[in-house]
Amino acid sequence: MKLFWFEIYKTFSRWRTYISFGFIALIVILTEVVMKLSANEILYRMLRSFEKDFLIFGNVLNGWFVTAFIMNSLHFHIPFLITLVAGDIVSSEATSGTVRFLLMRPPSRSRIITAKYLTTLFYTTGLVIFLGLICISLGLILFGSGDLIMNYQVPTIRIAFVPEADVPIRMLLAFAAAVWSMTVVASLAFLFSTLAENSIGPIIGTMAIVIVFYVVGNFPFDFFRMLSPYLFTTYMVFWQRFLDHPIPWLEIGNSAAVLGIHSVCLFSIAFAVFNRKDIKS
Amino acid sequence: MRKILLFAGILFLLSTQLIQAQEDAFRYLDLIEKKYCGLKDYTTDVNVHFDIEALKAPDMQARLYFKSPDKLKVDSKRIFFFPKEGGFFNPFQFQKKNFEARVIDHLIYDSHQSVRLKLTPINTDTFNRGSVLRIDVERNLIRMIKILPSEGREIIAVIDYGYFGGFELPVHIGLQLDIPPSEAGGAKEFQFGKGGKRISGKVEITYSNYNVNSGLSDEIFTEKEFPGSKARPR
Repeated sequence: MKLFWFEIYKTFSRWRTYISFGFIALIVILTEVVMKLSANEILYRMLRSFEKDFLIFGNVLNGWFVTAFIMNSLHFHIPFLITLVAGDIVSSEATSGTVRFLLMRPPSRSRIITAKYLTTLFYTTGLVIFLGLICISLGLILFGSGDLIMNYQVPTIRIAFVPEADVPIRMLLAFAAAVWSMTVVASLAFLFSTLAENSIGPIIGTMAIVIVFYVVGNFPFDFFRMLSPYLFTTYMVFWQRFLDHPIPWLEIGNSAAVLGIHSVCLFSIAFAVFNRKDIKS
Repeated sequence: MRKILLFAGILFLLSTQLIQAQEDAFRYLDLIEKKYCGLKDYTTDVNVHFDIEALKAPDMQARLYFKSPDKLKVDSKRIFFFPKEGGFFNPFQFQKKNFEARVIDHLIYDSHQSVRLKLTPINTDTFNRGSVLRIDVERNLIRMIKILPSEGREIIAVIDYGYFGGFELPVHIGLQLDIPPSEAGGAKEFQFGKGGKRISGKVEITYSNYNVNSGLSDEIFTEKEFPGSKARPR
């Protein structure tokens, strides 16, 4: 535990750790202010086709919707912010030449790598919670509360309503799912960080895999569709399913299990690699 | 000369028949309007149940205010989707000045003498694309409204009535919707995922707790926000 807090202190003492938090704050504030100023245009674009057939009353563009919208827009960018720390946490010891000093001390390699991994997960969780808090708090201040309308296209075009009373708990579950998804990216970057001697390689390597998997998983060809279930990025948007009506628990459980297995496997490999790492040469 | 007279005669006969058909059709609508001439306003609770694969929503409730001839106000504390066409009852909505009407056929429906009318809007710019009505001529009630297929869409409303304040007013409207996929959904950036399918299904609208001719003021319908409500039409 002491090692864990020591790693936390080290990580949060570096200014670059806060780049991600600053970036998220900036993007969220900018997006929500612009959405507030363009509320009429957004409402028109959101509802133009439904207004042909329905009279729509109530606060549709509320803080919950804005939060879901921003989450949906940022789920591609958050992995990059996570790799900034996760890809650096082990490799930076090699870069700065402190790895030998670290491993000469009494704590075992297993305890050190576990503490570093837990720190990576702590940072990942903190980043996603920060995104959630800033989105929701600013969203509710600027747009107020209300029922959540989600306009889904998978597996069919449909609108899902989540009653206002249910939205906070659904959002909590959605953000927990987002943390779970980002854990895989963090674990991948952590593994690369264990393998590399510098920080750039793990960051670029992780993002390259995430981007390639996203692109391959979204190509509208049968071959790529066949590959899609084998790509972890396919399951990373399962947070959206907590905002569906009704909640597809089976699908969520399946996605969570696949992502969990990925995280465990990636950490296990990192654990084994770090324990056999040659620091003499 | 003889040919011209013959042509004029045929034209006269045809136009007389056409006028006869129009007058006949409007006779049924006039009887309905006459039946409800004493209906100045009504207030009712409305419950909307969606049975549409593309619209996953719990039942929605609201209070609906209507004042003749065409004022409508919906009061809901929550988000409320209400079908624009066929969803609520206005006995004065089919005005002679707005439609051309003709009788399609006479039939017995549900043991009642009925007639089917086809209404075509005179102003083609309006959103209403024309309708087919089935009218129970024994009770002078519109029992079915079918919005004529246009842009690939179809809406059918079947209306059941009950007695409230001396008037027969809807207790249930069953709507069947069939909307093509190109019209479904909003702008791309507000959608989650991808795909495409025709939206079809049923909307069950139940009316209860009627308050008829309570003397609703016009101000209720002009206020942007109804007192005690966050509801605003979008």
